Amino acid sequence: MVRSYFRRAYSSFTAHVFDIPPRFMAFLFFLLLLTVPAMQLGSYVLRLLIMANIFAIFAVSWDLLVGRTGQISLGHALFFGIGGYTSGLLFQFFALPIWVTIPAAVAIGALAGFLIGFPCLRVKGPYLALITMAFPLILSNLVKWSPLEPIFGGELGFRSLPPFFPFLPFTQAIMAEYYLILLLLFVSSIVIYKIANSKTGIVFVSILDDEVASKACGINVTRYKIFAFTISSFFASLAGCLQAHILKLANPPMFSLDISFLPVILTFLGGIGTIYGPIVGSYIYVILDRYIMSILLPKAFESVGWTLPREFDFAKLLIFTLIVLVLIIKWPRGLARFATDELQNLEEARDLDERGPRIWKRYKKTKH
Amino acid sequence: MLEVQDLTVHYDGAMALNRVNLEVGDGQFVGVVGPNGSGKSTLLRALSGILTEVEPGKKERPSLSGSILFEGKEISKLKAWQITKLGIIHCPERRRPFAEMTTLENLEMGAYLRKDKKDVRKDLERVYELFPILKERANQMSRTLSGGEQQMLAIARALMSKPKLLLIDEPSLGLAPILKETVLKTIKEIWSSGVTILLVEQDVAITLATAQKIYILAHGRMVTHGAKEELMKDRDIREVYLGL
Ligand SMILES: Nc1ncnc2c1ncn2[C@@H]1O[C@H](COP(=O)(O)OP(=O)(O)O)[C@@H](O)[C@H]1O
Ligand SMILES: [Mg+2]
Repeated sequence: MVRSYFRRAYSSFTAHVFDIPPRFMAFLFFLLLLTVPAMQLGSYVLRLLIMANIFAIFAVSWDLLVGRTGQISLGHALFFGIGGYTSGLLFQFFALPIWVTIPAAVAIGALAGFLIGFPCLRVKGPYLALITMAFPLILSNLVKWSPLEPIFGGELGFRSLPPFFPFLPFTQAIMAEYYLILLLLFVSSIVIYKIANSKTGIVFVSILDDEVASKACGINVTRYKIFAFTISSFFASLAGCLQAHILKLANPPMFSLDISFLPVILTFLGGIGTIYGPIVGSYIYVILDRYIMSILLPKAFESVGWTLPREFDFAKLLIFTLIVLVLIIKWPRGLARFATDELQNLEEARDLDERGPRIWKRYKKTKH
Repeated sequence: MLEVQDLTVHYDGAMALNRVNLEVGDGQFVGVVGPNGSGKSTLLRALSGILTEVEPGKKERPSLSGSILFEGKEISKLKAWQITKLGIIHCPERRRPFAEMTTLENLEMGAYLRKDKKDVRKDLERVYELFPILKERANQMSRTLSGGEQQMLAIARALMSKPKLLLIDEPSLGLAPILKETVLKTIKEIWSSGVTILLVEQDVAITLATAQKIYILAHGRMVTHGAKEELMKDRDIREVYLGL
């Protein structure tokens, strides 16, 4: 009798603990991030996390366009760069405050996405990828072009952009920036998640699935594709101008291929098409690339009396690429997706319909 | 209800339809038969507007001339989604259900344009009555359905769009004879509930057995049309085009 009572208690306990929905996990994750500044990890770590959050906004925006709508973009640096440069231009020539430059940068970025959407309607798959890849390269050369140097600042770009909190001392300013960016990530990812799971989001998936069938259902495919481009570029340019203000710098590398490939890596690490995956991916990326490889490893070498050779920078890239490759091959659906699948399987096994009868059966057996 | 005059379609210079005329009366069941490559799918895609939509990856869009009147309105210049809104619903060749969606979600996609939520519920019940198997498979991914079930899903999805004129492209393609009959029987049921039907088929027997008026299409031209009895009277037509 007592034993059966404990068994029931135990099974209902496991059922509840393992039934944590992903949404609640995400909430816990954000709570954890909220407490990070209190851990006294130093301003360097805080800076890293700020970058991780900016990258996360960038990658989530990419995931909506590519993971959900199937419009492969290898040129998201275009929107990232436009965000940064718009902020830079508005500050340089009109000395506008930050709360004007950011909305303006985001609006211009969204407009760019809207316009880019039209030529992209005519192509798909690898052709679309190649075309989108070309746009940021064109802009990168444009801003570097010497006749335009008085406007775009040439190779150097814009320096000394205004920080977010000029009136705060250094350590407090970083903390404030951290919370601001975290809030923006929170809001952006919720907005994108809501869109992805709304009726509009289902239409996006139907276009990815079968364009002809979508048309047969009366869907205005053109409008939805353009909409996906616009939303995606809106958030990508937000990430761009946030980085510009955090680093106080907007320069040609913002349009580089590295930046274009960044959301691809982050999204595949976390899980494409999930929306929350890229956030996890960007944390893995920043921790691997900027913390373990750049700080922990050299420190470990120092502690045993070795110094890393200068060529290590190249080896670092190689090692990092290998790690990412292994992660992607081992978990092709992404790490975050893998984790939630595990959780959801457990949840399914404890399906409400089955759970009752099962517990009840066991209870009857032990009673007699 | 539908009046097609001199419809001509070119793909990249190659003619697929040559001055086609076709008339579908209100509440009629019209069939079009023709061998593979005669332009049946092209005809339906021209009617539903999918033909002239921008298709990514295609160099040139097919060109279309002639007139298509639906309830007295010229629709040959309209976009696919506008035509769908008018009530012409296309049930495309090879079924094309959304593979990554469940049966129910597929049906909901069919009702995507509709604002009358209450009637959508009723129609869902009606569709389930028509295809009981779909109710059993409601939460199953549509890629795991059998060929026959996918065909039923495709027709059911089109029904959810509340068609006035339903265009069905080769529903019997790749189905076992017994399934063909089931599908045909349901199409007839749909017709008797008041939906006008334009059925396009390679299978002559099926079409002759169901349609009130039959058009014969060959190499992009309408050879002749008439009721089953009229067509059967002409020995040439019977032997050359119907193979009977
Ligand atoms: N997308 C296309 N591009 C070029 N030619 C096509 C295309 N689709 C069909 N055709 C050609 O048009 C003709 C009619 O094809 P189709 O309408 O599919 O015939 P059916 O449905 O009767 O088999 C065929 O000769 C085919 O080769
Ligand atoms: Mg065909």
